[in-house]
Amino acid sequence: MKRILDVSALTIRFGGLTAIDNFSMHIDEGEFVGIIGPNGAGKTTFFNSLTGNVTPASGSVNYCGTSLIGKIPSRISQMGISRTFQNIRIFPKMTVLENVCIPLHSKPTYGLFPAVLGLKSAKAEDERIRDEALSYLERLGIGEYRDYEAGTLPYGLQRRLEIARALAAHPTLLLLDEPAAGMNNDECRELVELLKKIHRECKLTVMLIEHHMDVIQPLCDRLYVLNLGALLREGKPGEVLSDPEVVRAYLGERRKRK
Amino acid sequence: MYIQSVIVTICTNVISVVGLALLTGYTGMFSLGHAGFMCIGAYTAVLTHLHLGIPYLLALLLGGLTAGLVGLIIGYPTLRNRLRGDYFAICMMGFGTVVRLIINNMNNPIVKGSTGISKIPQLTTLWSALFITAALVFFMWNFVHSQFGKNCLAVQQQEVAAEMMGVDIVKTKLISLVISAFYCGIAGALLAFWIQYISPNNFTDTKSNDFLATLVTGGTNSITGPVLAAALITTMLEYLRFLANWRLVIYGLLYVVIMRFRPEGLMGYREFSFRGTLRFFRELPARLKGIREKVTGRKGGV
Ligand SMILES: Nc1ncnc2c1ncn2[C@@H]1O[C@H](COP(=O)(O)OP(=O)(O)O)[C@@H](O)[C@H]1O
Ligand SMILES: [Mg+2]
Repeated sequence: MKRILDVSALTIRFGGLTAIDNFSMHIDEGEFVGIIGPNGAGKTTFFNSLTGNVTPASGSVNYCGTSLIGKIPSRISQMGISRTFQNIRIFPKMTVLENVCIPLHSKPTYGLFPAVLGLKSAKAEDERIRDEALSYLERLGIGEYRDYEAGTLPYGLQRRLEIARALAAHPTLLLLDEPAAGMNNDECRELVELLKKIHRECKLTVMLIEHHMDVIQPLCDRLYVLNLGALLREGKPGEVLSDPEVVRAYLGERRKRK
Repeated sequence: MYIQSVIVTICTNVISVVGLALLTGYTGMFSLGHAGFMCIGAYTAVLTHLHLGIPYLLALLLGGLTAGLVGLIIGYPTLRNRLRGDYFAICMMGFGTVVRLIINNMNNPIVKGSTGISKIPQLTTLWSALFITAALVFFMWNFVHSQFGKNCLAVQQQEVAAEMMGVDIVKTKLISLVISAFYCGIAGALLAFWIQYISPNNFTDTKSNDFLATLVTGGTNSITGPVLAAALITTMLEYLRFLANWRLVIYGLLYVVIMRFRPEGLMGYREFSFRGTLRFFRELPARLKGIREKVTGRKGGV
């Protein structure tokens, strides 16, 4: 099986704080991998380092054989990594449909002159992109909200919109940062079914950060447990979640600062 | 003749403000120095016309292109280094001043320093001004509704997400800056061939402030809003000349009132349409009631 992502000895520092400490991991094509750990463990920071939002102090990150270090987010997106954000980052004043159109024309598909002159060919291209965007909205079950201003949607739908938008970037590797945050049990179950379907249909490799174990357990092939920025345990969900050390990390151990 | 003069002035202000609407309203970058681009456009067009015999329309275009090129040259290093928003605004203010000072000190027989260039032939007519303005507004309308314009909006509303969705931030900001500079350059050139006299002092920071005030009044995410506001404010300043010295006070008041009651400007995120206008007047009584409640800070009753 093809190795999609290979991270080795990654260390990230913010001033005196070591947010990620000598972390190594890998993902193969088609895998669904979970990253868990208590708050402040460095999970989001790890995602940020993959997408070019923070620069590691040391270590290597290889994606399909190319190093990601020093690449800017827009470049990394075009290489096939897409993500959602823990603190929702939709385009609030655009419509739901326009939100999903952005990744489809982040590199405009026509030139400046057709745009300025408002040529028919440009309009047709816009129409094609809207149709494609709509297909992602429908896949996530939010097609009926297409003309709503995105910022006015309820929280749960905004999370879905983020997933639809991330898919529209045509990713190979999809990074989901706490997509079930703030959802109740029913909504979690729906999300699990949705993610299963997307994983299967879009032939994606997925990395998921989540605290809800009933989301993690049915979805993930493997788990990495981070604690205080370092790898605590790696393995199948069943084994990892019953490990006493993992339980202890979750039950209230706080980050010790020097 | 006087009314024509007012209309041509409106036209040049409309062009500048529509250019700035792209940069500030859509892409979300503030500039306090766009009068500098007007100045560059005016001088380029006038000098190439007088000394190289470049015909009027071509000279206008040349003025715009030169302003755009200068925008590219100062924009690339500032934007590539990810200068934060407020630093960019200050940088542009510095740029506006520097342009004025450089021309002020070019005391040669061609540029004529602070004396300015007079006896410029009046080649701008009411109709050429109206036509060029209409064309430029039309182009901008298409641009902001195109993929390019949507990318600009995405950068303004959520830069981190826009970049993660593949939008090249530096390129998007640079395109906005260059186009807005181009628009201001053309406006400056158009104005020069109308008033027949230019000096660096025609293009002071006051003018940049005027543009920003007009834009904020008209609504930052609209094209028709700033167009209407440019027409209104220019007319107001023309007919109430005694107010000119009070303009900073007026802008201050205007900003406070707008920020308090209508932070999105006259048009906000909407565009002008007749149907919308009808609806506005139908809903006006209810709106006024809402405003009164805001002012008194309570809802009806005692
Ligand atoms: N940009 C930043 N600057 C400084 N410290 C940061 C930054 N981002 C994250 N941190 C710190 O790094 C640690 C890990 O944070 P984070 O990755 O958000 O944890 P998690 O997502 O696992 O809850 C926290 O202590 C946080 O305060
Ligand atoms: Mg997090």
